[in-house]
Amino acid sequence: MTRIAACDCGKLRVSCEGEPVRVSVCHCLECQKRTGSVFGVSARYPKEKVRAEGPSRQYTRIADSGFKVTFDFCPNCGTTVHWRLDQFPDVTAVAVGAFADRDFPAPKHSVSERRKHEWVAVAGASVQHKD
Amino acid sequence: MRVSICHCQACQRRTGSVFGVAARYLREKVTIEGEASEYVRIGDEGNEIRFRFCPHCGSTVCWEMPAFNDGIAVAIGAFADPGYTPVPSRSIYDASRRHAWVEITVPVERRG
Repeated sequence: MTRIAACDCGKLRVSCEGEPVRVSVCHCLECQKRTGSVFGVSARYPKEKVRAEGPSRQYTRIADSGFKVTFDFCPNCGTTVHWRLDQFPDVTAVAVGAFADRDFPAPKHSVSERRKHEWVAVAGASVQHKD
Repeated sequence: MRVSICHCQACQRRTGSVFGVAARYLREKVTIEGEASEYVRIGDEGNEIRFRFCPHCGSTVCWEMPAFNDGIAVAIGAFADPGYTPVPSRSIYDASRRHAWVEITVPVERRG
């Protein structure tokens, strides 16, 4: 199965082949700022399964782990669609919202929950929660 | 001021999260500083929504739309302040677009 993630205006598109190897929610303050929502949701794929098309601009920051993270966002609408983590060089992370598909596989990990807003919860019996 | 969650597909794409959360402020209470790029899209009701995002990192911080009249919506994630976690009162596109694993644990007015 190939799924397409796209920015809001549709110029930056990422095709992802097969199933993600990890789907996770992150409540950290950096993910809150990047998304403007109260958490980020990412799907990691083996990097060779991900193909990006269209214009993008890169933004690099240092993650809490000390490793670099490089985000690709659409210069027209601002949506960050995918990113690479130096800590995990074999994967590409894709923003789950960019698939705009409520049937996308649910997350199995919810991290940085110490920053979670109280009014929301990540439901699911098999979800691992970390502070 | 009202805080709303929106699960629509455009908010999913824009945020990369599975919903957006907006805190609406009166325009005169909001001061905007720094560089911004503007992105305009036409909302479901045919109105223009004007988003402002940082051209350096892509974060959308605020937006304006005719339905807000004299208000400005601010992305609540952009506050990134553990001491300020305003509770939403509405959840829009809740029935049609909300990812099933997202649980809103406070009473909210649910629409669509």
